[in-house]
Amino acid sequence: MKTLQNSPQDHATILIVESNSLECEKFSQIAFDEKWLLVVCQDGLEAIQWLNDNSTADLLIIEENSSPISGYQIADYIKTELGLALPVIITTGEIPVQQERRMLAYAEAVIKKPFNESSVVFQIRKTLEKAVEVSPEQNDHYSLNYLMDLSGGDKEFISETIQLFSSTINSELQDLKKVLNQKDYHRIREIAHGIKPSFDMLENEKGKGICHLLNSEAKDIEMPYLIDQLNLVFNNINNQLIKDFPELNLR
Amino acid sequence: MKKILVIEDNPMVIKSLEFKLTKDGNNVVIAHDGREAMKQLKENEFDLILTDLMLPFVTGNELISHIKKDTPNTPIIVLSTSTQEAIIMEAFNMGVDDFITKPFSPNELSLRVKRLLSKN
Repeated sequence: MKTLQNSPQDHATILIVESNSLECEKFSQIAFDEKWLLVVCQDGLEAIQWLNDNSTADLLIIEENSSPISGYQIADYIKTELGLALPVIITTGEIPVQQERRMLAYAEAVIKKPFNESSVVFQIRKTLEKAVEVSPEQNDHYSLNYLMDLSGGDKEFISETIQLFSSTINSELQDLKKVLNQKDYHRIREIAHGIKPSFDMLENEKGKGICHLLNSEAKDIEMPYLIDQLNLVFNNINNQLIKDFPELNLR
Repeated sequence: MKKILVIEDNPMVIKSLEFKLTKDGNNVVIAHDGREAMKQLKENEFDLILTDLMLPFVTGNELISHIKKDTPNTPIIVLSTSTQEAIIMEAFNMGVDDFITKPFSPNELSLRVKRLLSKN
């Protein structure tokens, strides 16, 4: 791994996994112009190692077909297993819209190759700005913005809605496991369709994205993995809610 | 006070709709599935109906067909998700008046409901 010290340390640190040397060179130039610190990793595993050692990056840009683990799997691992709120951009060639949507369940943006310099800069700036919008006291698992907006900040409504989320999604996920054992894929799609708005209302894009995949695009063979992922997402949200609202006695 | 029937099975969506519509001065009745909705429609008259399309026991389209047959002048708003284009189009062909995507924008909901209630 080589670190290109192009910018002062107080500027954005961007990890990049890009096997095409020409494209990588373009990124280096962009980073130099924009005063970003670019850390070039040979593959996703090296990026994970770097994050384990440093955990101070602002963005990961990784190619979709990175070896030995794909870009979106790395993105998923970083967010779910490492628990890092690191925005991820996946780079790819031309792909069908459905595949792009699938990637957006794991990443903040997708950039298509060959790169266009100005659109790359725009996309990176936009993603970095989005990440900054999340204030330190907020978390990566849920947001109450929608419920606050809807209720005008009504505390009773918000508490009751949080309790509903915790209890009903827990129960629906148990049902999902049961119907998965019965290989009732039609019912899995129905349940996912039903609970998607609940993740959306707590502004958890990943949960919403997984529900969308389960409901409309996932193949039967992909469902066990996606259901596991949805359980992880729910557990993360629920654990954060338990921590933030001890008075609600959530389980 | 206008009487609105909400037919929906997601508890968080129900709670939000009930909160917002009540705050806007409406009397809100909830049906959690198609059967409950049929019972409510038999026993009460409503100024407006908000319904999901994927419901337990009776499908949204069966319900719409029933409402249009019994009370053709009652306006219907369909609650949908963004992935249901074909189903929404079918619902429009059956005579629904409007649709709102879940989770709904609070202001958009108020405006659409007021518009349909004032028409009636």
